[in-house]
Amino acid sequence: MSNYQKHPKANVKVRRFPKAFVWAHAINGLAFFALYITALPMYTDFFNWLYPVLGGPAMARLLHRIFAVVFIMPTFILLIFSPKFFFQWMKELITWKKRDLQFFSEFVKELFGFKFKHIKQTFFNAGEKINSVIQIFCAILVIASGFTMWFPEFFPRALVQWGYFLHNVGFGLGIAVIVGHVYLSVVHKHSRPGYSGVVNGKVPAWWAKGHYGDWYDEEVKKGNFPDLDDPKRKKGA
Amino acid sequence: MAKEYVKYVDVTKCDGCRACMVACKNWNDLPAEPTEFLGSVQSHAKTTADTWNVLQYIEHENGKGDLDYLFRHSSCFHCSDAACEKVCPENAISYTKYGTVVIDQDKCVGCGYCVQNCPFEVISLKTYKDKNGKEYRKSHKCTMCTDRIEEGLQPACVTTCHTGAMEFGDKDAMIQKAEQRVKEIKDRYPNAMVYNPQGVGGTHTVYVLAEKPSVYGLPENPKVPTSAVLWKDYAQPIGKAMIGATTMAVVGAFVANKFFSKKAGNDAEDGGGSHE
Repeated sequence: MSNYQKHPKANVKVRRFPKAFVWAHAINGLAFFALYITALPMYTDFFNWLYPVLGGPAMARLLHRIFAVVFIMPTFILLIFSPKFFFQWMKELITWKKRDLQFFSEFVKELFGFKFKHIKQTFFNAGEKINSVIQIFCAILVIASGFTMWFPEFFPRALVQWGYFLHNVGFGLGIAVIVGHVYLSVVHKHSRPGYSGVVNGKVPAWWAKGHYGDWYDEEVKKGNFPDLDDPKRKKGA
Repeated sequence: MAKEYVKYVDVTKCDGCRACMVACKNWNDLPAEPTEFLGSVQSHAKTTADTWNVLQYIEHENGKGDLDYLFRHSSCFHCSDAACEKVCPENAISYTKYGTVVIDQDKCVGCGYCVQNCPFEVISLKTYKDKNGKEYRKSHKCTMCTDRIEEGLQPACVTTCHTGAMEFGDKDAMIQKAEQRVKEIKDRYPNAMVYNPQGVGGTHTVYVLAEKPSVYGLPENPKVPTSAVLWKDYAQPIGKAMIGATTMAVVGAFVANKFFSKKAGNDAEDGGGSHE
C-alpha cells in the first residue's frame, strides 16, 4: 500500500460527511451502476450476453425500474436526515470565485503527476462542484425522461420520443464523468486518502487541511478540528 | 439487388369488404380480436399486434354539403427511411431486399421504442407467457407478407382484393400508376393525391387518397422524429466516445503518475506544494 497511511498524522481523523450523506452516496452509487448494467445490453450489442445473466429482457426491464426507484431515494434521505448538509452543498455549487478557476490548472498538473500547489478551497473544491453539477443535471435528465419512457401512455408521443434522446444524453454524460470520479477516489494517489469519507464519513485531518484549506481553518476556528500546526496540539480528533 | 416492390392502394376503388383483413389473419395465423361496437362499421380503432391491417371507414363531409363514405386499407407503410429500424436497440428490425421492413422475433426484446417512434403508429407490443408463467413482450406489425414474396407470391391482402383497389408490383410502375390514377379522379375528388411521403424516404405502400391525408388520420408530412435522429446518430455515438475518452484520460493519468513519481522520487505524501 502507499505511503499516505504511514503519514505521521495519519491516525488523526476528522468528520467530513454526515452519516446521511454516506448512505445517500452509497445508495446512489449502487443504483447508478445497477441501472447502467441492466440497460447495457440495450445500449450496445456487445453486452447482449447480459440478457441471460439478468434473466431475460423482461427481467432486466423490471430490475431497471426497481433500481430507478432506488436511484431517486438518496435526495430524500439527504433532505430528511441532513437538510443542512444538502443546502450547504447546493449553496457551494452556485458559488464560484477566482480560486475555483485557479484550481483547475493546478488539478491538471496534479492529475498527471506533475508538481502542483494546493489552491485553498472551501468544503467542496471546484472539481467536486463541477462533478456535482454535471451529475445533478444528468440525474434530472435521466429521471424526468425515465418517467415518460416507463409510462408512455400518460405523456404526449413527442415527449416520449424526446425522452429516449434525453435519457441517452443523461446517462452517456453521467457515466463518462463517473469514470473520472471513481478513478480519483480509489486510484489517484493524491485524492484517494479521502475515500474513507464516503465509507464512514471521516478523512485524515492532514489530507483535509491540504485539500480544503479554507474549510479546515474555519472548523479549527470553531474548535471542531485540531490545529495540525499547533505544536501543543492535543492527541486525537 | 432484387427488385423493390410497392403495394399500390387505390382507396377510391375500395368497397370496404374487409377481405384483406381476413386474408391477412389467415395467412399470418393471427388470432381474432373481438372488439366492442365503435360507432361505425369499422371493426378495430387501429392496427394492433394481432391485427396487422384494419379497414378504415370515414364519414367525411366534402365541403359541398355532401357526405363521402371513405375507406382505407391501413397497415405498415414499409418506409424507405424507417424510424422503427433506426431506434431498435437490438437491430431486430431490418430492410429486406424487396424494400419491406421486418421484425426479427428472436432478436426483439419488447422494449417498445419502435412502437413510440413509428410516424404512422402501426406497431404494437404483444405480451406472451412462457411455460414458467413468466411474461415477455414482442413487437408486431405487417410484414408485407415477405415470406410470400420470397416464394414469388404477392401479399395476401393484395391477392384477395376483388375490386382491384390493391396491386403489387415494380416500384416505379406502381408510383406511375398512382399518379395516372390521381389525374383520372381529380374531377370527382379535387383533393386527390398520391401519398408516398418523402419525409420517410418514400414508402413501399403507396396510396391514391381521395382526400387530404389528415382526413384519414394520416400525418401530412411524416418524418423520422428529429429526436430519434439526434438520439441514434449523435447522442449514442458521442456518449460512447466520451466514456472512451475519460477512460483513456484516467489510464493516461495513471501511467503518467507512475512515470513522474519514479522520476521525482516523490516528495510529500500528498504531493502538493504549500499554499500560495
